[in-house]
Amino acid sequence: MSETAAHPHDDVHDDHHHEEPFWKKYVFTCDHKVIGIQYGFTALLFLAFGFFLMMVMRWSIAYPDRAVPILSDWPWFQAWLDNEGRVTGDLYNMFGAMHGTIMVFLGVVPLAFGAFGNYVTPLQIGAPDMAFPRLNMASFWCFLIGGVLMFVSFFLPSGAAKAGWTNYSPLATTTDLGFSSLFWTGQTQWLLGMVFLISSSLLGSANVIATVINLRCKGMTWMRMPFFVWAMLVTAFLLLLAFPPLEVAAIMQLMDRLAGTSFFVPTGLNVGGMAFDAAGGGSPLLYQHLFWFLAHPEVYVLILPAIAIVSEILPCNTRKPLWGYKSMVYAVMALGFLAFIVWAHHMYMTGMGPAISTFFQATTVLISVPSVILITSLLISMWGGSIRFNPAMLFATAFIPMFGIGGLTGLPLAFNLTDLHLHDTYYVIGHFHYVVAPGTIFGLFAGIYHWFPKHTGRQMSSFLGHLHFWPSLICMNGIFAPMFLQGMQGFHRRAFDGGAAYEQISSRILAEDGTFVATIFQKLNFVAEGANVMMIDLNQVTSTFAWLLAVFQVPFVINLFMSAYTGKKVTSDNPWDATTIEWATPTPPPHGNFTEEPVAYRGPYEYSVPGADKDFSPQFEKGEDGDDSPDTEESEKSVSAKSDH
Amino acid sequence: MAGSPEEMAKHKRLYLIVGIWLGVFSCVAISLGVFPILDVGPPGATWEDIVIGLGVSGIKAGLVSWIYMHLNHEKGLVYKTLVFTIIFFAALMGLTLFTLFDPIKESYPTIQTLRGLLTR
Amino acid sequence: MEIPYEVTPRRDTGLYNAKLAVWLFLASEVMLFGGLFSAYVFLRVGVIDGVDVPWPWGINVHKTFVLIGFINTLVLILSSVLVVFSWVALKERNFAKFRALMLCTVACAAIFMGFKTVEYRSKLMRHFDIRLTDGSMMEGTIFNKSFDIPFSVESAEFNLIGSSPGFIFDIDGEFPEMTVAWTVGGSGGKEETQVISSKRDFNKWFVRTRTAMTKELSDERKRYRGEIKAKEKAVFAAEEAGTLDAVELKEPVMPDVVTKAVAKLTKPYDLTARRTRVGKIFRGEEGAHNDTLTYADGCKLIGVGGDDRVIFEPHYVDMQLVPLHKQKDSMVWDVIGDKHAKEAWYKNRDHAYEEMEGYYAKKDAEIPEKMLRGYFINIQSIHDKEHKKGFMEEFIYEFKAGIEGTAYHHEDGHHDDHHGDKHDDHAKEVGGAKDDAHGDHGHHVVIKVPRDKIKFLNSHGPRAGNYYATYFTITALHGLHVIGGALVLLYFAVFGKRLYRKNPEHLANRVEVGGLFWHFVDLVWIFLFPLMYLL
Repeated sequence: MSETAAHPHDDVHDDHHHEEPFWKKYVFTCDHKVIGIQYGFTALLFLAFGFFLMMVMRWSIAYPDRAVPILSDWPWFQAWLDNEGRVTGDLYNMFGAMHGTIMVFLGVVPLAFGAFGNYVTPLQIGAPDMAFPRLNMASFWCFLIGGVLMFVSFFLPSGAAKAGWTNYSPLATTTDLGFSSLFWTGQTQWLLGMVFLISSSLLGSANVIATVINLRCKGMTWMRMPFFVWAMLVTAFLLLLAFPPLEVAAIMQLMDRLAGTSFFVPTGLNVGGMAFDAAGGGSPLLYQHLFWFLAHPEVYVLILPAIAIVSEILPCNTRKPLWGYKSMVYAVMALGFLAFIVWAHHMYMTGMGPAISTFFQATTVLISVPSVILITSLLISMWGGSIRFNPAMLFATAFIPMFGIGGLTGLPLAFNLTDLHLHDTYYVIGHFHYVVAPGTIFGLFAGIYHWFPKHTGRQMSSFLGHLHFWPSLICMNGIFAPMFLQGMQGFHRRAFDGGAAYEQISSRILAEDGTFVATIFQKLNFVAEGANVMMIDLNQVTSTFAWLLAVFQVPFVINLFMSAYTGKKVTSDNPWDATTIEWATPTPPPHGNFTEEPVAYRGPYEYSVPGADKDFSPQFEKGEDGDDSPDTEESEKSVSAKSDH
Repeated sequence: MAGSPEEMAKHKRLYLIVGIWLGVFSCVAISLGVFPILDVGPPGATWEDIVIGLGVSGIKAGLVSWIYMHLNHEKGLVYKTLVFTIIFFAALMGLTLFTLFDPIKESYPTIQTLRGLLTR
Repeated sequence: MEIPYEVTPRRDTGLYNAKLAVWLFLASEVMLFGGLFSAYVFLRVGVIDGVDVPWPWGINVHKTFVLIGFINTLVLILSSVLVVFSWVALKERNFAKFRALMLCTVACAAIFMGFKTVEYRSKLMRHFDIRLTDGSMMEGTIFNKSFDIPFSVESAEFNLIGSSPGFIFDIDGEFPEMTVAWTVGGSGGKEETQVISSKRDFNKWFVRTRTAMTKELSDERKRYRGEIKAKEKAVFAAEEAGTLDAVELKEPVMPDVVTKAVAKLTKPYDLTARRTRVGKIFRGEEGAHNDTLTYADGCKLIGVGGDDRVIFEPHYVDMQLVPLHKQKDSMVWDVIGDKHAKEAWYKNRDHAYEEMEGYYAKKDAEIPEKMLRGYFINIQSIHDKEHKKGFMEEFIYEFKAGIEGTAYHHEDGHHDDHHGDKHDDHAKEVGGAKDDAHGDHGHHVVIKVPRDKIKFLNSHGPRAGNYYATYFTITALHGLHVIGGALVLLYFAVFGKRLYRKNPEHLANRVEVGGLFWHFVDLVWIFLFPLMYLL
């Protein structure tokens, strides 16, 4: 799929000096930019697919007693829907598990770290390519194999994995045992796919770290690196050191399923009324430890690239330096460190003792400090700027409050007492989707709008950008805000009928008949005329917004493809008047990136420097004043001191 | 590293000596397991056995990493990376194990298990 | 375009790219094996006495295994030394010496893997554990292939939706002629039959019928949903018109598709079932030909079950999962059926108690309950009249170092072919007579253990318990690293000449990086050896 994905770009610009065959240039390429685009399109496809899974789930939640429209006649769905054409619990579980897996491991991380990390990082540090171009290619193909395995598993007789994206044992070990070939079951393929995805991430992250450390251009001292590069460095370290324990867990679970070991199978386990045929003595808790040792840092892998992108776009469009650059750098490092010792706050409900829970509660609350430093610095960066509201900036601006809501609603989950009530409810879903969907994904959209001109030489349409942004913003909030209400009432995330079976919860009244809210619900036909609005009726609101959100992604897709051919041509290599080195390349950057060796003369965010003749002083331009010499410690200090104000 | 021929010869001698020591320590380790006379404490893996066994391995690992992997003159970046790795590894193993010793119920038998393991 | 710092180190970091990257990679490898070692410690410390399978403290590790492990340690250390010297040779620009030393390194890797194979084979083939339903355990040698269940199939029932039925995979050799029957058009519909005489035909038929069934089911469901919609419409229209009571509504009919198929074999076929997850024959009446065996996918065989008892020679009886007061009536004594064995076991246990009491009294400590429950009593030694050593003495000896003697004395690997069938004949329900078939000292009780008394049965493969699971997983992963590293080093030795001519320093760098990885592999083994073999 990536072949076709990368295709639109080859006819746009073609100024390579020596012609390589198509498959070498766009398929098995070593160019970090093309690999970035490959990652990007594959990830976008997976994002769309994951979104589709979610839409089916939302139907089941909102209308558990009605047949699924359109899809119920598709042959594949036939096997998974019931006689009346309704979504079955199996299908819901499968789509739930795969929605999580695809969105996290195949959608957002490849787009954020794979695409932007690959495309932008070497450009911003003035490197000709990644340190190991062939390794880079290998990691993309590893990723693709993992993705294909996951996708193909839908079409196996067992269907794809059904045990949740966390794949907890012993549920995951004992699911789908009724097949003659255990290897060809979705659950096993999930594990295999994960092993490939993890290997890909490990290769990719080692590559990024080596690139950032060793391939910085002349004058690019540590404190002259754009914040984006810092965030990518920390992200890469998170991936490098947190992923191996999950790889181990995946291998051990694979052994549990295929070789009959009992790493995660406790003694005396019964499945379907029969004693499970294994030696026992394993520990389900061990799996959760190994899983969350990755999966919590993974949350920061999801969010850091988005913060990084936003912190590039904000100074550029406010024409002001990034406020507190240095403190942000230290904050992101502290975040990276703390991310490794908070994982068990996902496990308060597993019966861990009070002392360990308190420890993890403390570290979890502690980690909010660096996060708040980051978000506050971004907010203050906008203060007093003359802001250009282009689509990239809109998404970047929206990112801040959305991430703020997501972060603050996380606090009640950090405390183990409140978590007992909120665990596995829609509150949790609302919390982390606020971080990831209107948070990270908005950040990624901002990045696409921002760097699009660099790759294609054309601007994306501003009108379509607005048409994409505003409805998306409204829909995102329409989806996730009601979840907080429902979650606090105790709606469980895994109920495939949306909680209809739990009358005590679902029949709580949200608004009485005659109130304003009730009138709106009645007008929109969500409840009958003259009826009270129940908590469960919010399901329909959420689902409707979810489907609307899908509709409003169409302008983006049109914009992406149309602007590549018909968008307004940019007049310079630096259309946004930005300061970082990636704008010093020709448009689009050729293989090898820079036509002359770039040199960093100053810090990354020198906007509106007093006394300068224009409102931006790019890193790559030699200034008039004498203190711009590269490679000296003093200049580094003075730069960082400047950017702190 | 590796400058003049004399220096090289010195290094070679060091490598050889370390190799011999590694062999010697392997023999020490195995004698713990094979000859009952060297057994410390009652049957089973006592905690003296664990300390001695892992201690010998630690020395061997130290020799390999310090001399053969040139950690005796490596660059600061590598040390930093490794120090953080060790910290995170310790966190992974330590905190995971800690959950076993912090039972929510008194009857959870793990503490007794460990006590049993260590006193045998 | 050229990537900078491929050969020469960068000034401020002091590292060339590959060296930096390999240290990063090793950091992640530390976390990888760190995760595995964490799991090892967690699982081992987390063993609950009297509930979980015991963690063998070296007792199941035969001396030869320790020896193999020891030799492998030395081999890996030697290879580490060789790889350092090959790098030094390259630094001294002596390519021939480099190549020779490097090839020796690879040879060391090959030796290592060779020993590993020997060890794996013996672990997987020789010793078996049987855990009975009351928790008592026996360890010993098995004579039939334990997971295979003989069954004479007369007919089979299976589902047409899903993957092809499990018993087809178990048919080796000539495919038995069978008549398959399935129903088209719901229950009471037309029954169709077909005669099939080859596996290929079967698969063809299965796929074809499955497709047709799926389509039939899909059409039925479409029709059903249509009827529901029509009814809803009719009700709505009638409500509008106010004639709801007068209208006759057509009730939607649930789709009714029979997805079961039956295969009747022309003549009974003796097959060995391997793919059953829960291998148990449910026996019907004697001579009624209605025993059944169910596969994991629900496929059910009907016919006559063969003798599926496990022919077993127990070496040890292990009672630690049985509470003290129940040990006397444990079913293991019925299974062994030897009164003498039980008496001797108790005599020896009491003797062991005395010694233990003495030992712990000296330490002024109480005997742990686990010790009282009795740990691996060797029933071989019970029968050994010449046995002179005190029980506790041998106990310690076995406990620590693996044993030499009766339990393993015929492990030269020929028992599979030698005894496999013959033992069937002179296996005794009650072992008593001295039967020195092996020309060895010691006595052998060969028993037949009924499957319904067995809770868990396994060789010392990865399934046998967490020790074996971690052992196999970690050493296999380590073995993969050895193979990968050896291939890279081999590549340097064989194809390094070209790069050497171009830029010897580049090759030296590569070898250094490869060497770093190789040392790390050695490092892992240094910790694996005591953890897996000694402690």
